[in-house]
Amino acid sequence: MPIQYYLYLSLALFCTGIIGALMRRNAIVILMCIELMLNAVNLLLVAFSNHFNDASAQIFVFFIMVVAAAEVSIGLAIIVLMYRRVHSIDINILNRLKN
Amino acid sequence: MNIIIASALLGVVLMLSGVFLNHAKGKRTLAIFASIILMVVAVVDVMQNTNNTILHFNGLMATNSFTAKLNAVIAFCSMLYIFLFSNEISKVGLNDAEYFALIFFALTGVFILTSYQNMFMLFLGIEILSIPQYILAGSDKRNVKSNEASLKYFLMGAFSTGFLLMGITLIYGATGTFDVSKMALMGSGEPSTIALLGILFLIVALGFKASAAPFHVWTPDVYDGSPTAFTPFMASIAKVAIFAAFIHLFHASFAGLAGRWHIIIIAIIVLTLLIGNVTAVYQQSVKRMLAYSSIAQAGFLLFAVYSLNEISQKGILLYGASYMLATMSIFAVLIKMKDYTFDGFNGLAKKQPVLAFAAAIALFSLAGIPLTGGFFGKYYMLNGAMQNGMPIWVLIFAVLMAAISVYYYFKVIQAMYFKTSIQDATEPDAVIDVPFKVMLIINTALLILLGIYPTIVTIF
Amino acid sequence: MIFLDIAVNSKPMDWFPILLQLGIAVAFAAVMIGATQLLGPKRKTSDKLVNFESGIENVGNARQPMAIKYFLVAILFVLFDVEVIFFYPYAVNFRSLGWDGFLEVLLFITLFLVGFVYIIKKGALQWEE
Repeated sequence: MPIQYYLYLSLALFCTGIIGALMRRNAIVILMCIELMLNAVNLLLVAFSNHFNDASAQIFVFFIMVVAAAEVSIGLAIIVLMYRRVHSIDINILNRLKN
Repeated sequence: MNIIIASALLGVVLMLSGVFLNHAKGKRTLAIFASIILMVVAVVDVMQNTNNTILHFNGLMATNSFTAKLNAVIAFCSMLYIFLFSNEISKVGLNDAEYFALIFFALTGVFILTSYQNMFMLFLGIEILSIPQYILAGSDKRNVKSNEASLKYFLMGAFSTGFLLMGITLIYGATGTFDVSKMALMGSGEPSTIALLGILFLIVALGFKASAAPFHVWTPDVYDGSPTAFTPFMASIAKVAIFAAFIHLFHASFAGLAGRWHIIIIAIIVLTLLIGNVTAVYQQSVKRMLAYSSIAQAGFLLFAVYSLNEISQKGILLYGASYMLATMSIFAVLIKMKDYTFDGFNGLAKKQPVLAFAAAIALFSLAGIPLTGGFFGKYYMLNGAMQNGMPIWVLIFAVLMAAISVYYYFKVIQAMYFKTSIQDATEPDAVIDVPFKVMLIINTALLILLGIYPTIVTIF
Repeated sequence: MIFLDIAVNSKPMDWFPILLQLGIAVAFAAVMIGATQLLGPKRKTSDKLVNFESGIENVGNARQPMAIKYFLVAILFVLFDVEVIFFYPYAVNFRSLGWDGFLEVLLFITLFLVGFVYIIKKGALQWEE
């Protein structure tokens, strides 16, 4: 299978993630969209790894997964913190910061 | 290289001090001690380094005399930061030891970013730098503004991480390597589309992290909402590290393709200078004004990304040093204030002459007035860009914008020196003791020293 | 690698039986669900709209805020769980890395344990106050 197919698939997934992150208002859904972006990258890295016959890209995928887990745990903690304060996870509430 | 290990281990030690020490003063002393150790390690690294580039960890990292000097400057500024702000940092919340630990973890990321040689380390460095900052932004848990700053910073940061990774992956697809120096993209004639797309993604991602317009939207809210004790760290040390990474990447990998991305960088520089400076004029709060001014300063740092030559390398050291020192000074004064608006500074010179003087010199330096470090920083930046053939109108525009910045910086100085107020400008329970003033004076003296002998950072 | 060989040397036609099987499976499921809807008897009572909880009467809404401890344990589990990923590359290269690799993995686990000690000491896993 040509590498282009993987490229198109993962760019499509990545764009889905971007559009979702920009359009949705729910913080957790935005977080999921960002995860989708990262997973699109993971897919492409694995495809390239197979293409170049180079294992380092697969190791990169491991690192991305670990960092993404760390990031998500911080992100969820922040969302919980905000939920306890304003009882909502709608990011429109963030506009309150703008004077 | 030792400095990365040292800062990580010191972070772990400080983290454990949170559960094994239950004396606030002890934790603070430990943090100050740790920052001194870090400085010593950085100085030892400078002594040991020759001009040759040395590879570490199977080519993941590379150090040379420039990275060692940059590390030393950053370590020195972190030491000053801990000295000046340790009181306020422990006052932010209950988990004081953790705040210090997070700062040291973020510094690990900073030192990785100054000397990475592989895209792995670029990614890990940016994440190790960013994740502690998300927490620090939200560390004032009972303050809604702090929570929101944290959430906003997190969402924007994670979003830009996606772009960074996509950029790295596309470049990897075009070159087949993650090594920064091996992926020099010229050699094989016309670059492929995915390589160019990858460079674009990397510009967007690093622009986000460096708060360059049009990716700056998170900056004012985050810097404004975060506890004032942590804003100077985010605005100075973290930002200089991101720029060091930005410049290193474009210098080592994409310099051959400069014709392709120069126009994008020019557009970003012009937009950043314009938005940063013009919006700063209209701010009511000094803290928010400083957030916009940090966007404007990012515009000047971006000149080094354009030029990528010897002069701009010196420029980044000098500009970075003077920018970090000035930011630290002005925030150290700001944090003692009761009211963060311009009127809050009224009559400070009468009540607290040392604070007012330090703030004035810091603002002079940020505006780029001669005899302060900021002047030579801006001079080196513009000179380096001119040598590399930047269109002259951009340089004139930059100087014009620096002139606008004088207006809003001087509004603070005017309030401090030429207006009077019946009340005390400073917080009643703020600790303005002799050591604090001494540190502030040292900071100010260094800023003036950099303005008189700018070569001091480049030769040591 | 046998799987890869099939993937490389096969013609699109060879995959037709799988497509056929997939089509039949989807059609069967669709027909069954549709037929029960059409043919089955319908009795609409309010009890039918209630969530099924094994015959026990349900109490309140499920979407209630839970204690923060569940969240904390879940997050810590995710963190510690995902770090195991790094043992896979080590397991593959276990022999060739030798003692150096072993020492480095030991260092990794030690740093890990420091984090664990911190969590325990901080009381994050204590269920009773």
